[in-house]
Amino acid sequence: MSPLKTIDSKIVHPMDNLLRMERIPHIWCPSCGIGLAVTAFTAALEKAKIDLNKVAIVSGIGCTGRVAGYTKLDSFHTTHGRPIAFGTGIKIGNPEIKVVVFSGDGDLIAIGGNHFIHAARRNIDMLVVCVNNFIYAMTGGQVAPTTPLAAYATTSPYGCVEPPFNIPYLADSSGAVYVARWTTLHIRRLTNSITEALNKRGFSVVEVISPCGMYYSRINKLGDGLDMMKFYHDNAEIRHGEDTKNLGIGFQTKIIVGKFVDRERPTYMDSYNKWLSEIKTEEKLRK
Amino acid sequence: MNPIITVFSKGIEKSGIKPSKVSVPSDIPFGSEVVNHLGVDFFHTIRGRAIPFGTGLKLGNPALKVVPFVGDLMTLGGNHFVHAGRRNMELLVICVNNFVYRKIGGQPAPSTPVTFSPYSTFEEPFNIPHLGNSCGAVYTARWTALHTDELANSIAEALNKQGLSVIEVLSPGPNYYTKIEDIESNLINFYYENSVIKNGEDPKNARITPEEKIVVGKFTDKERPTFIDSYNAQLSKVLGDKFTPYGGKNG
Amino acid sequence: MKANPKDVNTGVYYIDGDVSSGYGALAAGCKFVGGYPITPSTEAFEAVCRRGPLVGAMFIQMEDELGSIASVVGASWAGVKSMTITSGPGFSLMMETIGFGAMLETPFVLLNIQRGGPSTGVPTKTGQADMMQSRWGSHGDYELIAISPDSPQEMFDYTIKAFNLAERYRCPVMIMSDECVGHMTEKVVIPPADEIEVEPRRFYDGPINEYLPFKPDEDLVPPMVKAGDGYKLYITGLIHDERGYSIKNEEYKFIYTKRLVDKIRLNKDKIIELKEEETDDAEVVVVSYGISSRVAVRGIEKAREKGIKVGSLRLVTVWPFPDEKIAELAKTIKAFVVPEINYGQIAFEVERCSHGEANVILVPHGGAGVHNPDDICDAIEYAAKEKKRIEGVIEYKTKLEKLVFEEGYKLHE
Repeated sequence: MSPLKTIDSKIVHPMDNLLRMERIPHIWCPSCGIGLAVTAFTAALEKAKIDLNKVAIVSGIGCTGRVAGYTKLDSFHTTHGRPIAFGTGIKIGNPEIKVVVFSGDGDLIAIGGNHFIHAARRNIDMLVVCVNNFIYAMTGGQVAPTTPLAAYATTSPYGCVEPPFNIPYLADSSGAVYVARWTTLHIRRLTNSITEALNKRGFSVVEVISPCGMYYSRINKLGDGLDMMKFYHDNAEIRHGEDTKNLGIGFQTKIIVGKFVDRERPTYMDSYNKWLSEIKTEEKLRK
Repeated sequence: MNPIITVFSKGIEKSGIKPSKVSVPSDIPFGSEVVNHLGVDFFHTIRGRAIPFGTGLKLGNPALKVVPFVGDLMTLGGNHFVHAGRRNMELLVICVNNFVYRKIGGQPAPSTPVTFSPYSTFEEPFNIPHLGNSCGAVYTARWTALHTDELANSIAEALNKQGLSVIEVLSPGPNYYTKIEDIESNLINFYYENSVIKNGEDPKNARITPEEKIVVGKFTDKERPTFIDSYNAQLSKVLGDKFTPYGGKNG
Repeated sequence: MKANPKDVNTGVYYIDGDVSSGYGALAAGCKFVGGYPITPSTEAFEAVCRRGPLVGAMFIQMEDELGSIASVVGASWAGVKSMTITSGPGFSLMMETIGFGAMLETPFVLLNIQRGGPSTGVPTKTGQADMMQSRWGSHGDYELIAISPDSPQEMFDYTIKAFNLAERYRCPVMIMSDECVGHMTEKVVIPPADEIEVEPRRFYDGPINEYLPFKPDEDLVPPMVKAGDGYKLYITGLIHDERGYSIKNEEYKFIYTKRLVDKIRLNKDKIIELKEEETDDAEVVVVSYGISSRVAVRGIEKAREKGIKVGSLRLVTVWPFPDEKIAELAKTIKAFVVPEINYGQIAFEVERCSHGEANVILVPHGGAGVHNPDDICDAIEYAAKEKKRIEGVIEYKTKLEKLVFEEGYKLHE
């Protein structure tokens, strides 16, 4: 018998309607930050006052990839790197649906990097929540395109030799309309950002810096989850509107957080509809 | 294509690098006689994979100068491009942009400017030098096929650059593009009248739109350690004498 | 040629199959590994990352599998032995470039630690369902070589063999291992370098301007050169002639495809390695590969205890397939028993080659685990008793299947 059944059925957790409680406990390790990101997301869903039947959540592969499996929305756990492409299909198939891609740095930026920049270029109306823990955690701690220079990982046993991506800058220069970054310590601000982004039309990216106590911190001897949270407390600096160029993260350096980009651009469907009506008028004129 | 290859040949000559040390992985087929004339090693790879193929060539033999030629690379190869920029892999990417997929009959590609295609396309195009620059390329430039001298100089300069260099070449795709667009059939004139040289311009402001003149020039020229440099530095630091640096600056 | 002592970490180890394969690659002289983490193959890549830099081997973790295999083909043309490591979905992503590699006659090794599929499937558990994909996965006509080791020791030995075959026949070679072997930790003996036979790349040594990159020697395999030596290589994935130039000539397509296929088919006898046991007077022969062959050992023992004359044919080389051997055995025995962790891949090959002269019994497994040896024993018993000649592949119903489907095994609790 699962331990859940012993709990008094009258007590209802406020997130019961948003989470698949039958799948709890979840797979994430103690000290992992993904749970906090999910909490912020579920809180934001309520705050944003959107029709939950019209929200689809798409995840890829990895630790964060499991998020779709725990949220009680239309959830899709797709192949590695393809959640944005999959979400593009949902959005175009039914433009009424608000697509949320919830996945990790390896999934979205490494193997899914091309879909990421192209969706930003097209300005597909979707929200991307990218949980960045600087490492491939599900496969046991390999180097990621976000691993800071000189940090250790199992496939960089002598220190990472590749400079990491600055995700907000990549998103910004590819054309995203909303870009923010928070750590899992900034739970209230993160919730607000996700709420705002849920109501934003266009390609929005919220990066969530999250501790990975099991691999990233352990390999790099950074302590446990609490130590990482303390680190965020001491080293995160809020700078709204900062030029995304300056948001690179080094090994244990300052992390600049905030909302960096909030602009308007016609979305893919806007441009498509405008184009379609132009063609129709053109065709009529020809006739 | 052919005029660009002629310019490329000039660029190699100017750079002082032996053509036999230059390898060209390309997703655009070159004519065999052209390759013979160039004297380089040529690899016609599958679409979108010229950059990772070139990465393998470079890491397999660091003495090589690897010049991936890519046509509209931003579709299949976009990810490889941004990651090569991040790593600062020592490649000179020459992106031949004729705004449409020439080989498969003229569909709009991701770098097709808005309103330039049969019924005009509706997707915002990529600004390739800007994307290259923001991913960490050490050298970015854009020229049209008309700017032969400038392009040759850029190629020579970039060949001697340590790191990922990107040169976008706007090239006429006369068979499809011009017919469709009703732009004057004389593209040379079109480029001449519609481009403006702005060296050192922030590539962010170099979007190609139908309304404005095409901004060409050398946009980025900076220094950053290459992948092999960082690899050697980091591993020497950690492993000390046990590690023999790989390749070295020029092999 | 003997292995370079610098590349070989001679000694006795207690390591898993993945790590063992990584050491094998380095011992074989592999100098470039392009990979991307994917369970359950990552340990092999990690082993290379740790040891590679100490022996002058370069590694890179690319942005995805599409990139990692393309870089491996590139590195091979730069003149170094190269390898990529993957599993399940990554293997599927690599398919296009495997065909490209075969077309360019590029030697490289691909280590595939099979897991449960399709799609994400069961990443941490075993499967043997990529066997047909390894043979037919890329489009077009080509032949390649696939090896299936069954222990960490063999992962070392056969990784070296894979490199040797790749260099010898200028083609991609796949090591079709599986999660069980990859994650199995056992004693592995790494011999001294002078006991390891390594095939060097067959470089062309004639005059520079007479070189034709695709002009075969007598054994249908062309010698290779590397980029940067002034050969003005022209290499394309289009159908090409001896110079490498693309051509549209139908006749040449015919000749080229034929050679691509024949260089493996006609050299089959030299490539294929089988392990045969007590097949001389056998009534039943168990045909197996990879982890299933290890499980089958116990099943065979049990059947022999019951007095059944049963032999074993282990396919170390799965592709090219030993057609003649199976056909020859089919004439003398009653039936083949084929245990594999899928619903019939190699079993159908065995049936094809037995030409209706022996029954073929498939002992299937849905994946995420290995057979119960009792099932294999029971299947052998059934095979020995069955007097009728039954057409097609007979799917044997295992105990686990009976448990799941007949006794109402409750899945949700």
